[in-house]
Amino acid sequence: MREWSRHLRDVFASTLLDADIVEELAQHAESKYDELRADGASEHDALAEIDRLIDGWRNDPASLQRVVRRSIAVVPPATSSSILSGTIADAIYGLRLLRAKPGYAAVTILTIALGVGAVTTLFSVAYGVLLRPLPWANADGLIRVSETRGGREGRIPGTMLNSTYLAWAESPQTIASIGAFRETPMTLTGLGDATRLTVSAVTPSMLKMLNVNPDRGRIFTDEEGERGKGRVAMLSRGFWEQRFGARDDAVGQLLTLDGTPYTIVGVLPRDFRFPSAEVQAWVPWYVQPIDGPNGTKSGTIMRVLARLTPGMTAAQAAAEGTSRAMAASDAGFIAMSLFGARDPIAVHVQDAKDAAVADVRPAILALLVAAALLFVTAIANVANMQLARATARQRELTIRAALGAGTARIARQLLLENAIVGVLGSAAGLGLTVALHAALPSLLPTGFPRLDAITIDGRVLAFTLVLSLITTLACGVLPLLHVRRLELARSLADGSAASAGAGRSRLSATRALIVASQVAVTCVLVIGGVILARSFVAQMKADRGYDPANLLTGVIPFPPGYSVERREQAMARILDRMKGHPGLLHVAGGTGLPLVSSGGFSGFSLPSPVRNGQVVDVQTIRRVVTADYFEALGIRLRAGRTLNESDVPGAPVVVVVNRSFVASFLDDIPIERAVGLSLGKDAVRVAKDKVDAIIVGVVDDLKQDRPGDPPQPEMFVSWDQMLGNNYGSQLFIVARTAGDPAPFVEALRTSLREEDPAIPLDAVMTMDQRIGESMSRPRMYATLFVGFAAFALVIAGTGLFGVLAQTVSQRSRELAVRTALGATRLQVIQVALRQMSVAMAAGVVIGLAMSAGLSNQLTPFIYGVSTHDWISFGVAPLVLVIVGTIACVVPARRVAQTDPVQVLRET
Amino acid sequence: MLEREMKRGSAELLILALLEERERHGYDIGKQIEERSDALIKFHITSLYPTLYRLESKGLIEGRWVEKAGQRRRRYYRLTPGGRGTLVRQRSIWQNFAKAINRVAGIKHA
Repeated sequence: MREWSRHLRDVFASTLLDADIVEELAQHAESKYDELRADGASEHDALAEIDRLIDGWRNDPASLQRVVRRSIAVVPPATSSSILSGTIADAIYGLRLLRAKPGYAAVTILTIALGVGAVTTLFSVAYGVLLRPLPWANADGLIRVSETRGGREGRIPGTMLNSTYLAWAESPQTIASIGAFRETPMTLTGLGDATRLTVSAVTPSMLKMLNVNPDRGRIFTDEEGERGKGRVAMLSRGFWEQRFGARDDAVGQLLTLDGTPYTIVGVLPRDFRFPSAEVQAWVPWYVQPIDGPNGTKSGTIMRVLARLTPGMTAAQAAAEGTSRAMAASDAGFIAMSLFGARDPIAVHVQDAKDAAVADVRPAILALLVAAALLFVTAIANVANMQLARATARQRELTIRAALGAGTARIARQLLLENAIVGVLGSAAGLGLTVALHAALPSLLPTGFPRLDAITIDGRVLAFTLVLSLITTLACGVLPLLHVRRLELARSLADGSAASAGAGRSRLSATRALIVASQVAVTCVLVIGGVILARSFVAQMKADRGYDPANLLTGVIPFPPGYSVERREQAMARILDRMKGHPGLLHVAGGTGLPLVSSGGFSGFSLPSPVRNGQVVDVQTIRRVVTADYFEALGIRLRAGRTLNESDVPGAPVVVVVNRSFVASFLDDIPIERAVGLSLGKDAVRVAKDKVDAIIVGVVDDLKQDRPGDPPQPEMFVSWDQMLGNNYGSQLFIVARTAGDPAPFVEALRTSLREEDPAIPLDAVMTMDQRIGESMSRPRMYATLFVGFAAFALVIAGTGLFGVLAQTVSQRSRELAVRTALGATRLQVIQVALRQMSVAMAAGVVIGLAMSAGLSNQLTPFIYGVSTHDWISFGVAPLVLVIVGTIACVVPARRVAQTDPVQVLRET
Repeated sequence: MLEREMKRGSAELLILALLEERERHGYDIGKQIEERSDALIKFHITSLYPTLYRLESKGLIEGRWVEKAGQRRRRYYRLTPGGRGTLVRQRSIWQNFAKAINRVAGIKHA
């Protein structure tokens, strides 16, 4: 058997054939030989056949030459006399250069597009939500007014009491008008199946204040805001089209809401989305005075807008509001239960737009900063690549300079090339923004304010233009500075296209600086991303005081026609029907449900059972619940017992309280001692009798909305003992299941339908679903931040990789010579590696420092993690080091694998 | 003269067409031509490598050494974008040529 390689080397020894070619031919000969033998040829015949083949090759060794093609440079434009034609020629030249390197062009343009797209989208969101004027005429005079008592906000923040509102509305000075609004679900009947509508109750003054012109019909009259005269409704354009087929005769028809007929008087325009885009109909709001008949008091807390009288300031309005509130009739215990304090009263004034978006402002700003950082990293990368390219094109530029092209001419060309890349990238970024805009409604969390104000308009376009200008300058200036330092003679005399020659150390220092800044920015983004992601996980896993797993929940809005008694009977039947289902462990009903409704408030004076002679003002959440409520929700009992079947009418009135209740109103005594204490005769009013309510148990606090909310005092009252009391038409059902609760959704719906088809099945959901929904904002913040961080990582990684790969390819000749002279290959790029390591380390240190300064900005929307969380601050450098190592290993491997002889021959 | 040019052109066309499917090494290309042409086309295997190198020099194909696990490294060739364009052009030239011959010689398809 022949050694084919050696044999062919011998055969072609005299022909100076390329070693690669000899090897290729040897492989061919060997394969052919194997094939002939496999086909049954004798060794002799096979060898003879191969020899004939080799003879054929040997006959014409000249044809066995491979000419390695160098890529043909795009021919630069001739020097032109006219500036315009010269510019055009340069632009065409730039485009050709890009076409010649499609991969490079794609990476550059994509990188810019990513940065520009992220910043432009966030800018359009920030501008639309935070800055764009509200869509009403003369919106700049609109203010949100609210009040505090004893420095505390109402149960719903940003609201004011009806007494203050009415006192101020009577004859206002600093404000031209004042109006109130609220959103409420109502049941629509008489138009097909019973459905829930989102309805807004507004004072007639509100619509006037917003200068709204109806598409059809009229808006509410002042009279319709009076007691008993408000049986009229206005429809949203969308609802009118959907339910009434946009017919003109809809105006004048009746709309039955919560069992009451309302006459449709008008249709509001499509762009009227007040207070939110979900509203389908509006009804007048009669604001009742706080003093009812027979000395009763009825308090309401309301969201209120006002319009400043021209020339008046917000401070003047606040001062007037405060004095009006103090002059209003005394809100007494109502102020206590709604605000937790009576006085001092203070009215606050805020710009209406700022008030509407206050809760998303910090997040939008933080995300805008993150996007800007991503943009900076992206641009730095492109600048770095352009710089590298200018270095590689040194020979071309030098020759052009030597042939008479002035620095200005070369500068123009470089700037134009960058402008082309900048404009193309920004255009692609704008495309990305447009695509993101289409997806925004589904990307943004539910209830995100002012979605409709987020548009791509002239301002956003101008912003993109500015970004492309920044990109062009940032990417063009560095190569330009480098070109100015060209040393013509040396660069040419050097002869090698690869040699960077003059200014190499300064150049690599610049590039190291860019890498360091990229690493720093990426570090900030990664830390922010990890903090937010950890906060999200912490919120998902947080102890909410109940067990959300395997929990089915339902909201039952009973039709308004139901009497208290009928509601109670229906509820009892529904619970009984559900209890029959195998797989349901506990089924309970109540007036409250976490994430939906706290279930009502109660305020009373309590002769302190722990301090003789003292009276404690109690304001507490009060839930009326059936006995199984605690087991069903998984609320933990800490002392005494929960409610049970023995707590019936006639038996001693009992309550269960939570730890916060004990801490707030019972002097924080040990909870065991709270069991058995009396809360006096005012705590629970059963029918008309006044009897002492006894604490029989203490449970852990539960979080009504977010896990980060402060705990609130709570009191649980027995459903059976409270029969006959009216606590609203909306009740809740909770069912603990042995396994997945999803299969029971239909069972609950059926049992409601069996009870009365007029009961709309408003919201049957598992508790996990409700929690998921409530987490949509933290989820979006975390997702966006982590996304930005991931992009920044990729960008910084490719940047680092680019620098090293470029170093390797530019210095391949030097590498080859030095390896040939005995240096190990890695030694050769050690300098570059060391430099990049230093740059990375510096970047990480700067990034950590920046994060330490910036992360406090995340405080408003994180939970369960410190803004200086050591894990987040530890993970970021680790991730960066891993990415950096990967970016370094590939070029280093390439060096280790190159054949110095090959390099020397080709360059 | 024409004959030589045509022969050379046909060899190039065959190789480009084979590489259009996927990248192949020299021996594989030679074998494929032999098998697929049912030995109707006399293709001198000696001219395979000169043709490959010529195509490579023209930038129509590019070769690179590929190491696969358990095998010795082999030089694989693949089509460049330029080669793809040339293949399209050459195909249509051959088609027109064949049509013209048919018209002139009166060969009818069955």
